[in-house]
Amino acid sequence: MSTPSDALGDEAAGLEASDLGLAYGKHTIIEALNLSLPQGQVTAIVGPNGCGKSTLLAGLARLHTPSQGHVLLDGQDIQRLPSRALATRLALLPQETHAPEGLTVSELIRFGRQPHQGWLRQWSEEDQCVVAQAMEAADLQGLADRSLDALSGGQRQRAWIAMTIAQHTPLLLLDEPTSALDLGHQIEVFELIRRLAAKGRTVVMVVHDLASACRYADYLVAMHEGAIIAEGDPRDIVTPTLVRQLYGIDCTLIPDPETGSPLLAGIRRASS
Amino acid sequence: MNSYSSSDVAMKRSADRGPTLHGPAHAPNGTWCLAWSGNGGQQHSLLIDRRGLAANLLLALGLMASSLAYLSLGSLTVAPWELIDVLAGGGDPVASFMVQELRLPRLAIACLTGAAFALSGCLMQTLARNRLATPGIIGIDNGATAFAVASVVGIGVVIAPPAMALAGAATATALTFGLVGGGGARGYRFIVAGIGVGAVFGAITQLLLARVSIDVANSAYPWTVGTLNARPSNAVAALALGLPLGLLAALGLSRALAVMRFSESVAKGLGQPVNRRRHQALILAVILTALAVAVAGPVGMVGLIGPEIARYLSSSRSVPIVASALAGALVMVLSDLVGRTLFTPIEVPVGIVTSVVGAPYLLWILLRTSRSLA
Amino acid sequence: MPEPATDMVLLKAAGTPPRLLAKALFLAGLLLLACLASLLFGAGDVGPVRALTWLLGGGDDEAHFVISTLRAPRALIGLTVGMALGVSGALLQAVARNPLAEPGLLGVSAGSAFAVALILVMGASAATLRVGVAQIGALVGCLCVLGVARLRGVDGDPIRLVLAGAAFTGLLGALTSLLLLYDQRAADEIRFWVVGSLSGRRLDDLVAIAPGLLVAGVITLLIARPLASLALGERVATGLGHQPKLIRLLVIFSVALLVGSATAVAGPIAFVGLVVPYAARALAGPDIRRTLWLCLLLGPLMVITADIISRLLVAPSEMPLGVLTALCGAPVLVAVVRARRLPSL
Repeated sequence: MSTPSDALGDEAAGLEASDLGLAYGKHTIIEALNLSLPQGQVTAIVGPNGCGKSTLLAGLARLHTPSQGHVLLDGQDIQRLPSRALATRLALLPQETHAPEGLTVSELIRFGRQPHQGWLRQWSEEDQCVVAQAMEAADLQGLADRSLDALSGGQRQRAWIAMTIAQHTPLLLLDEPTSALDLGHQIEVFELIRRLAAKGRTVVMVVHDLASACRYADYLVAMHEGAIIAEGDPRDIVTPTLVRQLYGIDCTLIPDPETGSPLLAGIRRASS
Repeated sequence: MNSYSSSDVAMKRSADRGPTLHGPAHAPNGTWCLAWSGNGGQQHSLLIDRRGLAANLLLALGLMASSLAYLSLGSLTVAPWELIDVLAGGGDPVASFMVQELRLPRLAIACLTGAAFALSGCLMQTLARNRLATPGIIGIDNGATAFAVASVVGIGVVIAPPAMALAGAATATALTFGLVGGGGARGYRFIVAGIGVGAVFGAITQLLLARVSIDVANSAYPWTVGTLNARPSNAVAALALGLPLGLLAALGLSRALAVMRFSESVAKGLGQPVNRRRHQALILAVILTALAVAVAGPVGMVGLIGPEIARYLSSSRSVPIVASALAGALVMVLSDLVGRTLFTPIEVPVGIVTSVVGAPYLLWILLRTSRSLA
Repeated sequence: MPEPATDMVLLKAAGTPPRLLAKALFLAGLLLLACLASLLFGAGDVGPVRALTWLLGGGDDEAHFVISTLRAPRALIGLTVGMALGVSGALLQAVARNPLAEPGLLGVSAGSAFAVALILVMGASAATLRVGVAQIGALVGCLCVLGVARLRGVDGDPIRLVLAGAAFTGLLGALTSLLLLYDQRAADEIRFWVVGSLSGRRLDDLVAIAPGLLVAGVITLLIARPLASLALGERVATGLGHQPKLIRLLVIFSVALLVGSATAVAGPIAFVGLVVPYAARALAGPDIRRTLWLCLLLGPLMVITADIISRLLVAPSEMPLGVLTALCGAPVLVAVVRARRLPSL
């Protein structure tokens, strides 16, 4: 914990789903799901394609109105919160990001302050402070005036995460923050996420790759066909049986010699 | 657990009470920060984008210069120094009539319609996140024109053209958005569906004109391609009232529009009630288009060119609302000036001038190398 | 038993299935009815009964005059224009591999119309000259849109190609309007023509366009087979021993001949080339060799029906034909665009 006014840390906030159901029209994706996210930790949601993990994240971020049940933020139903109040407590990085041509990194990060600003309060010392810290946290100081179009994939993704950091919320929801990045850039982003959690933020991310999820998450939520089939510390819950349930593959799990997180070895299609 | 100390910031704040103009040390790059404390001791601040301000000033200057040219050039040239005299009420009576009775009202109408078209173009482009989604291209102009022509040629209903234009614009918009269904305003499909809707309304306009005598049809012809000649006075009044209100409303939406340029979920994540704002912007764009079409007919290309100029001059930090309106007025004034003077004694309707200029530009946008537009 | 099944598939692929033949016969019947209706109905005093009496051998001089000099040529021209536009749409869509490629939408008709307006303003008025110029204009328009799109790598994107075509059409339309403003005499001559109509055409026009249509027809017959294999992709077509570039050029040439002829006679009529192949594909499947035959029937059917309606709807005055084709074509356009996945031809 570095400086006293640190934009990275904040009081934790509890996010939970109770009896949550999410549907696209008549097509139900998730039914009666209960989940409580551990505060100040990194939670990874994993599962096969189409298991509803991104839908769940969208539901938690109020991008999707529940067909049943509630999402509670510190005990309050998020559907009842004003858009802006929610945005000061919960930041979201969707999978699909798209920025206007020519926008620079610092301009993008400043948009993260919008929920805290108003017509007659367009810029304050606090804004300046938080933006500078977000930029520092994401290691972007040298790139502040570069156009987003001119960045590498990893840098661009860090800039987007910096924007959500600048929102200065206790909760961060990231939808596949490392998809479409190569291995080096993935590690760049994951380490940034770890740093955020170390400062006390609660991070929830949807991750495609089970091994990275095990390596970087404190808490794993495994989903299959719209339901949670296991949750807990990855070292405890990831078993060959779970992997088989999730992805239909047989494998051997060995602990990473450095970190102890489970690694998948000897992967083959499940013999049924 | 570490917590963000707000007292630290509060202390720094209390150091500078009273209005100050922060220099670059405090304000973000490229902006001026105007800060003062209000009645209850709250801090107020305004962020002024230097490049945006410069763009607005430049466009305003350009508009003034072209207005001067507009007033002095034509079948009778009035020198700029005589203009002052004439505008003050003196001078040569013929010149006085020319300027005061003919050119000045027409100039005002050119500014109003140009600003309205460009502003609604800017709103549509932003809310659809597609530079091609201007009211002219997606058929809203044609819808408004068809309905307004119906009221002009007197088919059954007797409603003022502005109201009819509004009904037409709303119908065309609803059709275009309804036809693409749940897909929303994404991508080129939306645009092509709009072109289809526009074609239907274009055909309806032709149908209406075919039913009336050839003289009425001929006199309505310039209006269907867009001209500043017709200018029904009730429609002008409606526009003169509606444009300033629309501009204010658009400014009110500007912060929401700025984040709506990101993907929808980003905008929602930043705390904007996106759907509500989008509907507001859409309604505003439809109203502005209808008001302008009722005066000048479908001069839709201004809705494409105006915001493009404005965006080129302004920074990408915000949506250039005022700059779009100014640029639209500028384009309209210049186009009508060219249409009036280039082929004298023939007067080329302003809609044709803007099409001849705008269509190659549209082609250029479309054929620009990358797929970055999608 | 697997063998008979294979035979069945082969049979189905090789020959014309009987159901298609039935459909074609049905369409031919409809077309005959439409032609008859075109002779019977119209503005003026000669109503259906009088016309029918004359057709059956009786009747009076006025009916004779109206039918043989006004309505019959008009039906004949509708027949020709419809065939030309229907076939040209199918050809253009096959070569652009784009279900939205339509001569009217891509600016081919507009190019042709602009060329004609240009020479009319310059003082020419001979029918033969007009046809040639219209065909050259169509060729230039076609090459412009397809060529530029190909050059910029946009040709793989059906929707963007259409947008480029729409922009091109808009530009040419504005330029044509400019010409009309410039010359009032020419304007009066072509104002009605510019929106597309069959009224007031004479058989001379038909004679003037006959050679072009004949050439286009022969080319189409020759390239139908290689064109069908081009639908599988350029590489496959090359692998099958065809020359895609040559085929493409020939198709563009014959499209220009067809659209130019149709435009010279009837003015630019959009959407026929979209609706007709769309319907033909729905009836006969994607193979161009079959759709072309149906287009020959569906094209005239659409044009003649639209012409009859345009005569009756606002009688005694008349509505441009282009209005009606746009009214039924635009919904088809939207339907094609709305389809989840654009079928790439």
